[in-house]
Amino acid sequence: MKSPMTRRDFIRGTSFAVLGTAVGFPRNTQLEAPKSRVILIRHAEALDENSEFNGPVIQQMLDEAVMKLLDQSDPTAAFRLLVKPEDIVGIKSNVWSYLPTPPEVEKAIKRRLLDAGVKEENIGIDDHNVRENPIFVKSTALINTRPLRTHYLAGVSGCIKNYIMFGESQDAYHPDSCAALGSLFDLPQVKGKTRLNILCALTPQFHGRGPHHFSRRYVWNYKGLIVGQDPVAVDTIGLRLIMAKRRQELGPGEELPPVPKHIQIADTKYGLGTSDLNRIELIKLGWTEGVMI
Amino acid sequence: MKDLAPSIPKKILDWESVDQDVVYDRKTIYDYMDGGAEVYLGFDFRNVFVRKYQNPSGEEIALDICDMGSPGEAFGIFSCDREDPEAGIGQESEYGYGLLRFRQGRFFVSITAAGDEQRAEKAILELGKAVAPLLGPAGPVPDLLTCLPESGLKENRTSYFHAALNLNNRFFVASENILGLGKDTDCVFAEYAVSPAETEDLLIVRYQDEDRARAACESFLKAYLPEAGPAAAALTENRKWTMARIHRNYLAVVFEAPSKEYAETLCSAIRFPPK
Repeated sequence: MKSPMTRRDFIRGTSFAVLGTAVGFPRNTQLEAPKSRVILIRHAEALDENSEFNGPVIQQMLDEAVMKLLDQSDPTAAFRLLVKPEDIVGIKSNVWSYLPTPPEVEKAIKRRLLDAGVKEENIGIDDHNVRENPIFVKSTALINTRPLRTHYLAGVSGCIKNYIMFGESQDAYHPDSCAALGSLFDLPQVKGKTRLNILCALTPQFHGRGPHHFSRRYVWNYKGLIVGQDPVAVDTIGLRLIMAKRRQELGPGEELPPVPKHIQIADTKYGLGTSDLNRIELIKLGWTEGVMI
Repeated sequence: MKDLAPSIPKKILDWESVDQDVVYDRKTIYDYMDGGAEVYLGFDFRNVFVRKYQNPSGEEIALDICDMGSPGEAFGIFSCDREDPEAGIGQESEYGYGLLRFRQGRFFVSITAAGDEQRAEKAILELGKAVAPLLGPAGPVPDLLTCLPESGLKENRTSYFHAALNLNNRFFVASENILGLGKDTDCVFAEYAVSPAETEDLLIVRYQDEDRARAACESFLKAYLPEAGPAAAALTENRKWTMARIHRNYLAVVFEAPSKEYAETLCSAIRFPPK
């Protein structure tokens, strides 16, 4: 048996190092690598008083995040660093009925892809049909976006898990707490194409119950987006946010969602990005009240 | 399960059945539950009958009736996820924020609101009351629960299950299955009040034989309490005690005890059945 990550490791705060050792990839191989930049941007008016998404504010948040991510002063210029006009771009969204990717986020991404010169007919938005959707089949670039939430099996559903629909069989990725999700990024339809990951923390879900792991009582208006080019780093920050919220609402004993191991394994086994907080440059922008991380 | 369908109301208040009823079995349940299927498959789940209702505003509630194979298994899936007040429906139930859960005999039922839970509440409770009598006689809880010491046992915080996934959803222990749990192990996890502010937790696992219990204990100590020594107990980083005890084919583990004495007292009070 591999050396497991235990409850005690989380109490000690050493889970990341433990898991890295467990799968046999020494952490010091990445010491010379640059840090992964992750932008956490929040805006008090991202949702209105009726908890409806505010499209113009979300567009502004996305713009500011991507500009900061790529050190640009103009959102179109920033997106031009991500895509070329001749690219065929699939926006991998998420349609889970209880907590889908907000259409306002999809619209904001598409707006900037168009501004960057990508033809409208070369932009697709899809979730369940990405394996058949002609845009995704022919895609030369992918934008990955979905809401942040907990998950019975994977612990956390984030940008890594969002690609499960590219797999031939989703069930095949379920064993061992979805440990192999990172391998999805090596599939031919996906490999090397992901230009941007946008983890929607506008209304994240920190706990789940019932057959569908959903109850609105566990969703809160955090009003944030977590944005980066490294999906592992983005999900690592998302996990930290979920853990902070769980600690606050459920108590220290409930800090952990079930087994959030696939994020670290995406780093240490599949080399998809970094789950080491010391290797992540987290830049926080905007509204700070209740930021928690 | 389809035999039940004609008896279940098609309309509750102003909520009407929409779409076709669907029954999912152990193979097709993945089509219905995103990520939740394994939680059910960790029990002797047979199938689930699903009917959806909509109100004039288009909001939806979902009725799920799971045949869990036996009353003990129905208790198990019900017990792993309890947080809300009793609703007085079926053998045991709870309701909160648009989610009604109850068990009756070998059936476990959940009724879930997808939209505004306040608008759905009355219909959910009425539907539950209409369905419960259709599900046959009551059934007993698993016999393993009789092992639990009574003193300090917190009401409605006892869970019964078999698999590591269910344990980790209830109380995360480890990323690997260090206790050797599976379909052929029976587990009970219970919370005990030590003081108004403090609790400790007790896990009892019943294995098929003594060898497996002993191997599981060794595996647990090696992975979780390597410093434990012969006493099989150690103070962990949060200043709480963890202790493991073997009794024939049973393994008991106390987590989060405020002192070694509390852990020992709880272990000693376990009522293992006579050989």
